[in-house]
Amino acid sequence: MFKKLSIALAFTMATSFAAYADDLVFTSWGGTTQDAQKEAWADPYTKASGINVLQDGPTDYGKLKAMVDSGNVSWDVVDVEYDFAIAAAKAGLLEPIDFAIVDKKEIDPRFVTDHAVGSFYYSFVLGYNKDVLKEEPKSWADLFDTAKFAGKRTFYKWSAPGVLEIALLADGVAPDKLYPLDLDRAFAKLDTIKKDIIWWGGGAESQQFLASGEAPLGMFWNGRIFAIQQTGGNVAASWNQNLTAADVLVVPKGARNKEAAMKFLATATSADGQAVLATRSGYAPININAKTRMDAAVVASLPDAHSEGQINLDMGYWAQHRDEIAKRWYDWQAK
Amino acid sequence: MLLSYDRLGGLRFGLWAITIAICLFLLLPVLFIAALSFGSSQWLVFPPPAWTWRWYGELFADPRWLAAAWTSLKVGALVTICSVVLGLLASFALVRGKFPGRLWLKALFLTPMVLPVVVFAVALYALFLRIGLSGTLIGFVIAHTILAFPFAVISITNALETFDKSIEDAAILCGASPWLAKWKVTLPAIRLGLFSAALFSFLISWDEVVVAIFMASPTLQTLPVRIWGALRQDLTPVIAAASTILVVLTLILMAVAGLVRKVFAK
Amino acid sequence: MVTATADIREPFRWTGMGYAVPALLLLAFFFVLPVLALLLRSITEPELGLQNYAELFATSTYARVLFNTFLVAGVVTLFSLLLGFPVAWLLAIMPQRWARIVFAVILLSMWTNLLARTYAWMVLLQRTGVINKMLMATGLVSEPLPLVNNLTGVTIGMVYIMLPFIILPLHATLRAIDPAILNAAALCGAGRWQIFRRVLVPLSAPGAAAGALMVFVMSLGYFVTPSLLGGTANMMLAGMIAQLIQSLLNWGLGGAAAFILLTVTLAIYALQLRYFSGAAGTAGGR
Repeated sequence: MFKKLSIALAFTMATSFAAYADDLVFTSWGGTTQDAQKEAWADPYTKASGINVLQDGPTDYGKLKAMVDSGNVSWDVVDVEYDFAIAAAKAGLLEPIDFAIVDKKEIDPRFVTDHAVGSFYYSFVLGYNKDVLKEEPKSWADLFDTAKFAGKRTFYKWSAPGVLEIALLADGVAPDKLYPLDLDRAFAKLDTIKKDIIWWGGGAESQQFLASGEAPLGMFWNGRIFAIQQTGGNVAASWNQNLTAADVLVVPKGARNKEAAMKFLATATSADGQAVLATRSGYAPININAKTRMDAAVVASLPDAHSEGQINLDMGYWAQHRDEIAKRWYDWQAK
Repeated sequence: MLLSYDRLGGLRFGLWAITIAICLFLLLPVLFIAALSFGSSQWLVFPPPAWTWRWYGELFADPRWLAAAWTSLKVGALVTICSVVLGLLASFALVRGKFPGRLWLKALFLTPMVLPVVVFAVALYALFLRIGLSGTLIGFVIAHTILAFPFAVISITNALETFDKSIEDAAILCGASPWLAKWKVTLPAIRLGLFSAALFSFLISWDEVVVAIFMASPTLQTLPVRIWGALRQDLTPVIAAASTILVVLTLILMAVAGLVRKVFAK
Repeated sequence: MVTATADIREPFRWTGMGYAVPALLLLAFFFVLPVLALLLRSITEPELGLQNYAELFATSTYARVLFNTFLVAGVVTLFSLLLGFPVAWLLAIMPQRWARIVFAVILLSMWTNLLARTYAWMVLLQRTGVINKMLMATGLVSEPLPLVNNLTGVTIGMVYIMLPFIILPLHATLRAIDPAILNAAALCGAGRWQIFRRVLVPLSAPGAAAGALMVFVMSLGYFVTPSLLGGTANMMLAGMIAQLIQSLLNWGLGGAAAFILLTVTLAIYALQLRYFSGAAGTAGGR
């Protein structure tokens, strides 16, 4: 019996390793966005190359670092936040992108570095529930005006570009004077509404808060508002001073299928791949030729259609100060 | 009088009131989740605007949920076997053995039960990465076996302690080999303990989420990992549908376990 | 290994030890070793020394998390005990057919998937949730109560999970008490309240203490429920360890926090073994 068991165990061990040998592992944040990435990138990639793409997630920076540190990297392509990618490249966690395979010319120069290429980009917008609010909030300052707009407001939970900038803008800082961030001022502004904040940790949670009226207003990824509207929710967004940020794709150092990973990046950043993703998700393409392949109505709903007053979050600044801001952020949150 | 049901007097109604309230408290989420799974609102508005089977349809149409259930079942079954076998051997050592440090050994064996799971999960994850066991079935089985093992030890030692060893010795005196005596006499006698050990081991693996989050890989996700991911990413009512099915499975398992106990006890 | 003769009679010094070897090896390699390695990182990363511990105790946030952890564990234990005692009491003496139903309810809730239960509470307790809607409809409150993302949410969710762990051992202890003792007290002229306070409570104390310690220890290390039902101000040690390692990539500090949690847990565990080992077995075993 024991012999049988050990043979069975050895067999399952062998097969579970085999699953890794040729397949490419793509890791992202799950949910509707990853479904869209699978459809737009992984499926055509598999069709063209014959390489199976396994979906994993959600992205976890601790796991990523632990994998690279131990030399046992099971993720080949990972969707990460832009500022993390810059910091991680500096820490030596990422493979350089092979621009012989990935076409750099087609990528919006805002969203490409030596170690990362854009995945998609999005704006933080002020979203609100029209069933609950009688008046329409129009600016970030309204988000902090609890007298005029009663009820909870929801903000992104994690330390990342966005919330602090919104607090400063609401406090009257001019967009071109945002950086370097005045952290004291930002936290002081946030303190004024801290007890009215509900934090959302992921896109679906933010949608649930807004659509159910749990928090009738807040900051959101533009694609998520678009998605609620698609399912008939009575919500809207104010694009005034919308803040752009991006997700990027990286290849962890020591990834098993480096070349296949680079080819995957080429598919992902291609005009077609980006056009399909943008259509499915409501996020904007980072390929400059993608828009010509998309429906005009969809193009009109993207951040590009709201470039007036748009502000680009400074990823370089964030990459540099990521750790110290994170520390202060979680300290402040836990108070 | 305080320990006699018939003579409690007015106190009886007070205790009943509290007990019924607690029972409702314990049942509330279980019933609510079932109701939620039939609600039509994608955003978990309750009471919902309408009732629907839609989420069950989505659940069964998604191969990832079925794959996760299958993985959970596989891991659970292997963990049950490993944990019961190891627990049985260890219990023999603890109950029958006479060696210094026996109580320390028992304390060590029960430690995985009290050690904060998150500490164990993080530590084991670091080790598994180094030796290439992360994201493998065998890694899952090892991790869950360690968590389930203390419960197997408790169930089996309890049973073994109440079993009169002289019966086994008698079998040996009648010519049975010690192994045969254990197989034919002792094991059947402690079958209820073995059964509890198996049940607990399976349930612990089946329900475990923290270690599983760290161990999971794209090819290997247990049901709790899938639910955890969905909770953080989708929050769709499909989770409620999956949970309701789990509750129904639990009810079936409880009924079967009750039946088996009855048969065994005879 | 173990020989047949040694097994049945020989008073050899290491009799029966061999049976424990497989489990011992498994635990040594995959339990003790990795945990020690993690603790080692707390004094070697980023460099050799105790700076991680210094930072942990010097930073007010971490001190608050520590305080929170004990506060939540304490509050949860107290409520579980207060609510669990009457149930265990009635359960110990009620007619079998009723007891069977109550047991079934307890086991059903205990065996239902942990995430499923927590998820249900998330939706039940929110501002627009069923409980708040009912309270508003009955006019008890004029605006929704904050029941989730705070200490209240964590307490409700955790008491819910812990109740069975206190009811079951208490029930076992209460059942084992000989009613004749209580009758004797009554014959000696003691009143109900006196019997309750002077006889019943002390006699059930071992079960209560074992259950309470169990619940306290389990609550200290809880991760899932606080992170789903608590707010950012309710972070507990386990959640902090996960955050330090997952989001901040700080294995050294995470290891130090793990060490603190581990020490406290093992100390309480040792206490439990020392004084309540019998009853503790019941707590885990049922």
